Parts: sequence; C-alpha cells; structure tokens
Amino acid sequence: MRIKTFKYGIHPEERKHISKGMAIASLPPGGLLKIPLDQHIGKPAAPVVKPGDAVKEGTLIAAADGYVSANIHSPVSGTVIKVETQPNFRGGKSTCIFIENDFKYEKDYLPPAEKDKDSLVKRAREAGIVGMGGAGFPLDVKLSPKNAVNTLLINASECEPYITCDYRLMTERAEKILKGVEYLRIASGAANAVIGVEANKTDAFEELSRYAGGNITVELLKTKYPEGGEKQLIYALTKKKVPAGKLPSDIGYIVSNVATAYAMAEAAEDGKPLIERIVTVSGKAVGKPANYSVRIGTSFRELKEASEGGENFVKAIAGGPMMGVALHSVDFPVTKTSGALLLLTEDEIRSVEPTPCLNCGRCANVCPMSLLPMRTDALILHDKIDECRQYHPELCIECGCCAYVCPAKRPLVQSQRLAKKLIRQKGK
Amino acid sequence: MQQTTSKKLLVTSSPHVGSSLTTRKIMLHVIVALSFPLIAGVVLYGFYALFVVALSTAAAVFGEWLFNKIRKKPNTVSDLSAVVTGIILGLNLPPTVAFYVPIVGGIIATMFVKMLFGGLGKNFANPAATARIFLLLAWGAQMMNFVNPIDYSAVTAENLFMGFTSDAAYVTSATPLAEIKAAAQTGAPDVDLLAGFLGTVGGTIGETCKLAIILSAIYLLVFRIIDWKIPTGYFLSVAVCSLIFYKEGWNFILPGLLSGGVMFAGVFMLTDYTTSPVTRAGIWIFAVGAGLLTVLIRRFGGMNEGASFAILLMNLLTPLIDKATKPRPFGYVKPKKVKGEAHESKN
Repeated sequence: MRIKTFKYGIHPEERKHISKGMAIASLPPGGLLKIPLDQHIGKPAAPVVKPGDAVKEGTLIAAADGYVSANIHSPVSGTVIKVETQPNFRGGKSTCIFIENDFKYEKDYLPPAEKDKDSLVKRAREAGIVGMGGAGFPLDVKLSPKNAVNTLLINASECEPYITCDYRLMTERAEKILKGVEYLRIASGAANAVIGVEANKTDAFEELSRYAGGNITVELLKTKYPEGGEKQLIYALTKKKVPAGKLPSDIGYIVSNVATAYAMAEAAEDGKPLIERIVTVSGKAVGKPANYSVRIGTSFRELKEASEGGENFVKAIAGGPMMGVALHSVDFPVTKTSGALLLLTEDEIRSVEPTPCLNCGRCANVCPMSLLPMRTDALILHDKIDECRQYHPELCIECGCCAYVCPAKRPLVQSQRLAKKLIRQKGK
Repeated sequence: MQQTTSKKLLVTSSPHVGSSLTTRKIMLHVIVALSFPLIAGVVLYGFYALFVVALSTAAAVFGEWLFNKIRKKPNTVSDLSAVVTGIILGLNLPPTVAFYVPIVGGIIATMFVKMLFGGLGKNFANPAATARIFLLLAWGAQMMNFVNPIDYSAVTAENLFMGFTSDAAYVTSATPLAEIKAAAQTGAPDVDLLAGFLGTVGGTIGETCKLAIILSAIYLLVFRIIDWKIPTGYFLSVAVCSLIFYKEGWNFILPGLLSGGVMFAGVFMLTDYTTSPVTRAGIWIFAVGAGLLTVLIRRFGGMNEGASFAILLMNLLTPLIDKATKPRPFGYVKPKKVKGEAHESKN
C-alpha cells in the first residue's frame, strides 16, 4: 500500500521522544485561575457572572456572543474575583475572568445529550467546544456548513515537532475518541469518517483501528510536515484540492482535530464542557517533560514549575515550534487551543539573524502551497504591495516550511504575514 | 505589575526551529567539493596551477573586501561565497596563465560582477563565468594556451619543480575540443575518451579531470547542496543536441560530454543559486537551454568551447524564465472574468 501524503513539505527533526513516553498526568490547578474570553476565532464571549458570584466546575461564566463565538465555563468551583482586561500573549488585550479555586471541585455539568444531529450540534455549542488543533474555530459553526458534507476527516497527524498531547490521548483513550468521532460524524451529517494518523505513531494507529469500524476508517499518513494542515490533510486522504478562497465543506469535507473529537465525546456523554485539555510540556530546558491534563486558565508558570523547567531557555512557546506563538512571559493561562508549552534552549531554536537571500529556491521547493516565498519577502520589504499580489501571499498557510529550510535564515513567514496585512489594508 | 520575576525572552515570528544549514555551511560544502578537481588539476599540471587558483581566490576575496570598504558596508567575506567564486574562476583558467590574469579575473568577478549589483544573491550573472569571458577577451592567447599534463616519467632531480612556473617545459597541445570542431564535418572525431575522463589532456585546471568532477557531484548531491535537475538536464541536453547537430552525431555524444567545461559547468556553475531559476519547470528550461547553447556555440560558433557563453546567456534569461514559469499555487483557480456579471447587474 502506498502511504498517503501531500506534495512537498519538510521533515523537521521530530524531537517527540522527549515527551512521548510520558503518560497523561492530571495537574491540579493552583488557587487562582485566569480565563480569557477570546480563546476562539470570532467574537469574544460575554461574561455572565460578576465578582463575588459562586461558581462550580462547569458553570457557564461567559456566553457566546453572536454566531461565531463560544461559551466559556468555569474550570473549578470557587468564587469569581474580578473581570478585567489583561494583556494576552499575542500582543493584544483580552478580557479575563479570575476565579478563586476552593479546591472542592463541585461539578455543575450538563445532562448527557441525545445522540441525534441537532442535539449534538447544540451540545457542541453549549459545551463551548472549539477546534483544539490550534485555530479555535467554534465547532458548532463548523458542523453546520451551507453545503452538504460527505466525509468527516479527523486530523490525528500531530505533525508539529515536540508535541505529543494528541499521541498520548490516542494511545490512552482511543475508545472515547472513536465515540467522539462518531458523534461528530452524526452532527455534521457526513456519511463516513476517516482518521489520518502519521506513520511515526503506529501504536496510536493500532489503538484507533481497534475501536474503528462501521463508517469510520483509520488511515496511515506519511510522517511529513504539515501533514495536518487542513488542505494538505484533505489532499493526502482524498486527493481533492480545496479551491483557493473556499472552505473544505464546499467540496464536501469537514476536518476536525482528534482532541476536539475527544472533547465532543466528553460533552455528549458526561455533559462535561470544554474546561480541560492535554498540554505537552517539552524542550531541553524542561527537567521533567510531561503530558498534563490541565484545566483551562492554569498559568503556564505552574506547568513550567511542575515540569522542573530550568532558566536556561531563551524562548517559551505556546503551541508547536513551527506555528506556535513565542511568549514574552510564562505568566499566561492555558487556553482551549494550547497544545504545548515548549521551553527551548539556544541550540534548539532557529537563528534570528537574517542574511541576504541566495535565491537558492529551497523555500519554493518545500512550500506545500507552491508559492514563491522569496519573492514575497523581497518585494514586501520594499513596499511593492501591488507586485506582491501576483505571488499570492493570501494563500500562505503560515506553516513555516520555507523559513525552516532557509539557509539565509530569512523571516519568510513574517514577510508573508506582512504582505497579507498590507494587501488587506490597501484594498483592491 | 504581576510579571515581576520574568526574564527577557526572545519573541519572534514562527517558526521557532530551523534546519542547521546556513549560507556559510553551503559554501564550505562547495569548497570541499571544489577541492577534488583542484587536487586533480595540481597533480596533472603541477604546483603552478595551485598558485593560479590561490591568486584568483585571494583576488576575489580582496575584491569583495575592498568594495565593502569603499562603500563603508559591513564586511561580507566571512560568508565564504567569494572564496567559492575565486576557486571556480581559478579552475576555469589554463595552468599556464601569467600571475596577473587570475588577479584581475578575481577582482572583476567579485567587485564588478557581484558586489556592484548588490552582492551575494543579487548578481545577474555568474561572477566566475563572466570574469572568465572578460579574461578571454583581454588575454585571448594566454586563455587559450592549453598544455599537456606533466610527464612524470621525465621528472628528474633538476626539473623536479617543473610546472612550478608558468613558462615551465609544458608541451602545448590542441584540446579535444579543437579536434571535435575539426571533425564536425567528417563525423568521426578522434578523441581518447579515457584520457578525457581522467583528464590527461590539455584544458583548464579544473575542467579536465571528469572523475574528480563526478566525485564532487556525488558529494554535492548527497549533502543536497545542488539540485540534481540542473546537471541532469544539462548533460542530457548536450547529448541530444550533439546527436542532432553533428554529422553522425552519435560519435559526438561522449566526446562532447567528456571534453571542455561541460561537466564542470553542469556541476559547479549552472548550479549557482543566484543565477539559476527557482521554479521547478524553470530549472529544466534553464538546464536544457544551456545544453543547447553550448552545443550550438561549439558546432557553429567561432570558439571551440561554448560552456561559459551558454552559462552567461542562460543567466541573463533566468529572471524571464522564473517569471514565465511561476507555479500555480495549490488549489488556485484563475478568477473568472466577471465582465458578464457586472453587465447583467447593470441592466
């Protein structure tokens, strides 16, 4: 059997061995949790509690505000301390709800949901589930596309280096994941579901295959980055290309993450809202690498301390090393989309001193979108916005392959982002 | 302020990890690869050949250093690209040139062809190939004075250092290229293929020993420094064009490949990043075009060798080739002309 994959891309050093063997461990939260209200794409949720209110684990504290938005629930039982605007790690500001933990963990979950399409979509919304692979798109919106969906694709590739949270989830909790996949399939109206697992996780593949059956199949994918990119995954599994500017549902597919499927199962069966997720703590500066089950709102600092993170790191990253966000401090809370906290030392990171472009073409060779990143880089740095358009920076998925291979260490992804922004500002 | 104990962290755009390959490492790999034909050249033509290459290298580095000095720019010689240019130029010179030829050539290559146009990555033509053509026009006789390799059986105590100076007892010879040219009409070139492969013929310092060049090519391909498409396309193109343009062309395929600078150009010069296309289709067009031009110049031009001119001409076409072969982004569909719709909405 020829192993499935997409065209081009790279094979970065995996470095998953650091945390691969660490079973999921529950990390109890500290006394104060800080829950941002904009953990998803779309409008931030609107607070429905006020300081002094008593909440339980699972109590709704902020409600979806508008169609593309998501509910937010209290991860612990305790008291609301304050609702305040705080700087976030993306450089902007977010409204956050602070909750004091009473360490009683009294639950306030929803009743189990009916297993029909409408109830499941409703439950996804009630439980505040968003895409947990990184983008944070509200699940109920994704499950209600304009066009009919034929196949649900589950991204279990976990192609980012270092991260092992989905891997641990798959090897330890495959049965529940498969239930979640089935609920997602029903909710989306898809006839069948396909789970794509990268070939470096054969044990996860076998675990999932054990429980798969009926309308759900599991496929092995080549270990290559960005195998889990939405368009790349669709192409790898179906050989169909999502036309530029269109959504996967326009060609009959929906893509969801394996952790999202697990959250769906918990919400549907146990009535548990999305208040907890698995976070990998890794990197050379970490003494005890781990895969923690963490409540949303726990500070990264607590993760760092639990993992005996040293002070010899130069970069702290929320998410994977290819697409994650560099933190300027570890005093930020875990959100619904935080798959990892990486503390990287000097010798692990990419040099940040760019040298002149050699025109070697490596970036063009690896670009999974077949763009010419070096052209955008050269043009946008000279403000040639109109000339830039012909190289279609708007199609860039920001996977970082180009910058990874660049021998001149040019900030190619940053240039693509800049080009997108300037083109948008300038308008048509 | 809650962030009291936080230390300063590096905050940059993603990705945060990268390959360990740098510009300098690439140049080091190329220098290692260049050492094979250089060693072969010194064995074949004596120590003066090493002197020639050393001079051209020093001059190339000096040219870049001087330019930066004059323009008050940060020094760029540490990226080693000038060293590569200098060695390539030296290997492109006959082993008998006077000492000033590599010096002038090296300075022309970096100072005028490379730095004047913006330095590394910005030059429009291959510095070494352009400098070679300049030297060919300036000192034609010297640049086409090819000699046979040293006859080691004749080495005695007195002439041990034969080949140490440019006027040593070399035996001037016609290169296999001259023979190919002469035989173009008859269809039967008298070329010793084994000699051409081992390099025991007249030619420039680095071009003659094809064995060494093949070793370099393997080295560069293993370390993924060069794109296999360029030498492959170029050699195939030279072979096919030889077949087409010569009488009884099959007799010219191997002699054509194993003579002159075809191998060296295909491995070291056409593969220059800056002056070759970046698109997948463009690279094939570039390589095939260079092969065609090489054979056309050899067959119909006034010169015996066409590789340098072919490189230069294809370098000049590179921006156009890149533009014409811009890849279609994944999933990109040409926006439909909305003229009709706009018309309808007006009505």
